[in-house]
Amino acid sequence: MNREEAPGKSPEDMYIQQKVRVLLMLKKMGSNLTPSEEAFLRNYAGVVHSQMSQLPQHSIDQGAEDVVMAFSRSETEDRRQ
Amino acid sequence: QEVHDSVVKVAEWQQTYYASDSGIQSAATTVRDDDSTTGCSGSKKYTGSITTTPATTSYSLTRAQRVRAAMFPETLVEGEAAIPVQADSTQQSNVQRLAEPSQLLKTAIVHLINYQDDAELATRAVPELTKLLADDDPVVVNKAAMIVNQLTRKEASRRVLVQSPTMVGAVVRAMTTAVDMETARCTASILHSLSHQSEGLQAIFKSGGIPALVRMLSSPVETVLFYAITTLHNLLLHQEGAKMAVRLADGLQRMVPLLKKSNPKFLAITTDCLQLLSYANQESKLIILANGGPEGLVFIMRNYNYEKLLWTTSRVLKVLSVCPSNKPAIVEAGGMQALGQHLTGSSQRLIQNCLWTLRNLSDAATKQEGLDGLLQILVTQLGSDDVNMLTCATGILSNLTCNNSRNKTRVTQFGGVEALIHAVLRAGEKEDVAEPAVCALRHLTSRHHDAELAQNAVRLHYGVPAVVKLLGQPHYWPVIKATVGLIRNLALCPVNQAPLRDAGTIPRLVNLLLKAHQDTQRHASSSQQTYQDGVRMEEIVEGCTGALHILARDPINRGEIASMQTIPLFVQLLYSYVENVKRVAAGVLCELALDKQSAELIDAEGASAPLMELLHSNNEGIATYAAAVLFRISEDKSSDYRKRVSVELTHSLFKHDPAAWEMVRICVMKTLFQKYLLYMFLKLWN
Repeated sequence: MNREEAPGKSPEDMYIQQKVRVLLMLKKMGSNLTPSEEAFLRNYAGVVHSQMSQLPQHSIDQGAEDVVMAFSRSETEDRRQ
Repeated sequence: QEVHDSVVKVAEWQQTYYASDSGIQSAATTVRDDDSTTGCSGSKKYTGSITTTPATTSYSLTRAQRVRAAMFPETLVEGEAAIPVQADSTQQSNVQRLAEPSQLLKTAIVHLINYQDDAELATRAVPELTKLLADDDPVVVNKAAMIVNQLTRKEASRRVLVQSPTMVGAVVRAMTTAVDMETARCTASILHSLSHQSEGLQAIFKSGGIPALVRMLSSPVETVLFYAITTLHNLLLHQEGAKMAVRLADGLQRMVPLLKKSNPKFLAITTDCLQLLSYANQESKLIILANGGPEGLVFIMRNYNYEKLLWTTSRVLKVLSVCPSNKPAIVEAGGMQALGQHLTGSSQRLIQNCLWTLRNLSDAATKQEGLDGLLQILVTQLGSDDVNMLTCATGILSNLTCNNSRNKTRVTQFGGVEALIHAVLRAGEKEDVAEPAVCALRHLTSRHHDAELAQNAVRLHYGVPAVVKLLGQPHYWPVIKATVGLIRNLALCPVNQAPLRDAGTIPRLVNLLLKAHQDTQRHASSSQQTYQDGVRMEEIVEGCTGALHILARDPINRGEIASMQTIPLFVQLLYSYVENVKRVAAGVLCELALDKQSAELIDAEGASAPLMELLHSNNEGIATYAAAVLFRISEDKSSDYRKRVSVELTHSLFKHDPAAWEMVRICVMKTLFQKYLLYMFLKLWN
């Protein structure tokens, strides 16, 4: 968002911008939106467009990471003399 | 004196073998007593006639020679006189009757006589040979060594040698100080021969033979090398204290470079020595590592096909594969690929060793490239009924698919999903198979190009009921933890939501969650974390809530989850000290809040307060879910409430967003400026 757009942002505008961002991030994380939320995004398509480039590019929530299993805790062979 | 000694010895011998005079010295003949039974037992009458022989000949013969002459004169060596045992040719002597039994018995007795010969000869020669081995003249030493080497070829003389520590010590010294290759070869051969008996091993060990043999491992003569390594091998196998002695003599440092030799049989013995020395000895493993052992061993696995060598080498690698320092070195040297070459041969013992080693190494090989061939073989081995093979294949696949999107995609393409489901079904209660198999499925169903394909494949191959069944009793928590993670991934595919519901996943997950949460609450007062089967109950809480979060994306599932009175618990979890638990709790509440009724319940449970706190979380996911829940429960709230949410969001969600902060700054500046202008206007007006 550039400086020229900054002046004139009311608390209501702030609220709209924040909500758009939260909803876009929810969608990015795979969550569902309510019909009213989808309509909200359609109503504020301009804000959506400006916010899209502001979203983080990395994955946010993909569940727990893979973890290796440590099998080499003890030698498994008993040498026969 | 010698004659007297001989007479005494024969008398003693007579007592042991015969109850009566055999005529060996008296030359008395035996006659048949008409009243006696057949055979040569019991007392007999003898008529004697003294046989005149040259006194020197008869008395200078050894006892063995005298027995031989009496019993088997035909076996006498040329030049030795035969003493006739009878004058009367019509009468058979007892000795001759004894000579008549089966040829086998005769042969055995001849061997005994030879044995006695050899032993007596060696006994007489040992002191002199011992002196000669220490001679200053290397030619003398060489000749003496050759004779001793000859003596070791026969068992009787060999036995005499091993019983002489001074002789063995002399051989060891001669080997160490040998100036010519022939002496070195001869003396090494002597020790090699002696090492086939326990007395010989002991004699070598006590005579300082081990350091000397270790020095011989640097010899340029192949034969000496062979004798030295083989003798050391026998010592390591059978002589107590040998391992420590070899280690102290820097044996490992000398043996590892020998891995560059090209004789497969030599290499087989060398690698077996390394295994004997390094088993359960961390220091030895580190010495092998420091001397390039992993590279040498992997080279052998890559380039030879002599089964015994591959087997002994794989055993060394297996021993080294439990060492945290050796493990990455083996992997970097291409160990995974090299071991993978031998999983389809005919040697079961080799296959099994390679599999166990691969399993041990697998957690260090998650970033290795070029494992496609290995992965394909492992997927095939998932069809085996051998529990050891299944244990290894599932374990290796689980680790190789860990955080490796390429391996995940390849295994999926090779049909790994179906094969793993079958492995799970066959595993039953064998956790060593079930846990890694489920972990592997969990890896395949997320974070790679074909994750969705894998999620669908589980359903298409009838895997959903089998997976959900793993949540049942008896609970083995590592399997439970892996399974809830897999279920979470399966639920990412919308088509799987209904089958998961139909399999009864939701009540099972909720019950597990309640059980685990109660456990954490019971131990909340103490600072100790609760572990069961090595799993923290907080991990189960996180896993179950995470799975329910994704299941809640389906509206019917959402309703079922909410109907089980879970909302109060999820709100409580927002206070957890574990960040991941907070994340999944906020996530599931976010989904549940899609339904107005649930949103009201969430609000009624007092979720606003912890959610406001969570807006400040450094975790973007947490802050986003929290904000979403607040937005959803604030739809019917006053504008003041919404403004408060907005202010909190400004100070949290956007705190790292420069553009947003810039906007906020401008808004604040604008507000201040407006207030200043108003102030100045009012002042001027007044």
